[in-house]
Amino acid sequence: MSPMDTATFRIARFGTRLGTRLEGERARAELAGALRALPDGGQVRVVLDGLDVLSTSFADELIGRTYQHLVIGEFGERTMVLETPSAELADGIDVKLAQRRLAMLCLLNGAWSLIGQHTPAMDETLRLILEKGTTTTRELIEDLDLQMNACVNRVARLAKLRLIRRVQIGMNGPQPIYELHSILES
Amino acid sequence: MTRLTMETIDDVIELVVDHGAEDLDLRAVRFVDPYALLLLDLLATRSDDRSMRIAWPETPAVRGWMRAMGLFSDIGIARGGSPSPRDLESTLQPIVEIADEDRIGRVVDGFHHRLEERYPLTESSRRALVAIMIELFQNIPHHSNASGEADDARGIAAMQDYEGSIVLAVADDGIGLRGSLGLRPGFEDLSDADALRAILDGGISRFADPGRGGELKRIAAVVRSWDGVFALRSGTALLYFNTEGGDIYDVPEFPGVQLGLRLPRHVFGIETVDP
Repeated sequence: MSPMDTATFRIARFGTRLGTRLEGERARAELAGALRALPDGGQVRVVLDGLDVLSTSFADELIGRTYQHLVIGEFGERTMVLETPSAELADGIDVKLAQRRLAMLCLLNGAWSLIGQHTPAMDETLRLILEKGTTTTRELIEDLDLQMNACVNRVARLAKLRLIRRVQIGMNGPQPIYELHSILES
Repeated sequence: MTRLTMETIDDVIELVVDHGAEDLDLRAVRFVDPYALLLLDLLATRSDDRSMRIAWPETPAVRGWMRAMGLFSDIGIARGGSPSPRDLESTLQPIVEIADEDRIGRVVDGFHHRLEERYPLTESSRRALVAIMIELFQNIPHHSNASGEADDARGIAAMQDYEGSIVLAVADDGIGLRGSLGLRPGFEDLSDADALRAILDGGISRFADPGRGGELKRIAAVVRSWDGVFALRSGTALLYFNTEGGDIYDVPEFPGVQLGLRLPRHVFGIETVDP
């Protein structure tokens, strides 16, 4: 992903104490615009720096709903990640993503982790893909000592949530073979 | 009756609603909290055919506080002119009308400013309280007249500090939790108590969107974690808990939703003043 393919979206531009659903809805239109302005495969980094309060309602209207639209493919192959100066500020986003059964990559104190609804199995698999940058299901099966089905399911879930990028590189009988890519810049 | 609070105001409502009292004698009242104040406001201004005569508290401090909180001007009666500087100083946040979602940010900023002006607050509790106010206040435009059937539904809020606690109250006289939740298919025939349970225990909202709902449930959890007191009243049901426990209780029917939080001052880093 080149720098041209990424954009930063600072929520503090809408105020420092946010906010109602109506305010979140208005901000969502701008976030959707920022996503659409990127080439397919581009990424928006939503930044919470500069905020004092972020209500769960605003968080849901802006992040939860946009992420829901992202996951169903409304923004093509574009992705979205979060950066927060404190876990407390991201708490409302965490709660609402979980309520929507979604998960999102979040950067806190220099470390990436998942917020929203996620399992230790998802965390383990995603961490390995982020470390490797690019890998395959076969490699993951060996590294994580997993059964094929379990690994395929984990990868499918991560890809569905736009937490990794999956590129088909061939077929093995009726089964597609994928190359798996981290969505984070190396 | 000498104290009108979250715990006692339903005795007054009962006199008026269940027993049809046309004269309400509050002369002996020596203490009123914001939750009771908002219920008195809605009771005095509700649009029905009956005219009710209220004898207001005689204690100057109580009457002065009620005046400074804006009760008498809010319900359209003159009681001794303008509030004194001393009474104004003693109030934390007078009654504020909540109608338009666009203005809620400014209302919350006003509450925040008054609280911050009076006390140095801990950052996390201050942020949590602001987030709570945003959620509670916006419930009024979102839900109080969601069906469009409430004539002139009003929403109001107020806050007051005491020696050991801060009380935040929000109230409206709209369609209530049962009326709002009943707009969602599958929830049409709930009782008031069932609607309270669905919202507080289940985090259910009138919207089917999975991201909606759960705010009141989370606020109740925060209040519990702060060892506070929580009262949520709608129709004929009241959910009340304090540090010793709680339950859903039958109360005399009153329109809308009324919510009161009594939060210990130490939560905000404010030391209790020694008497």
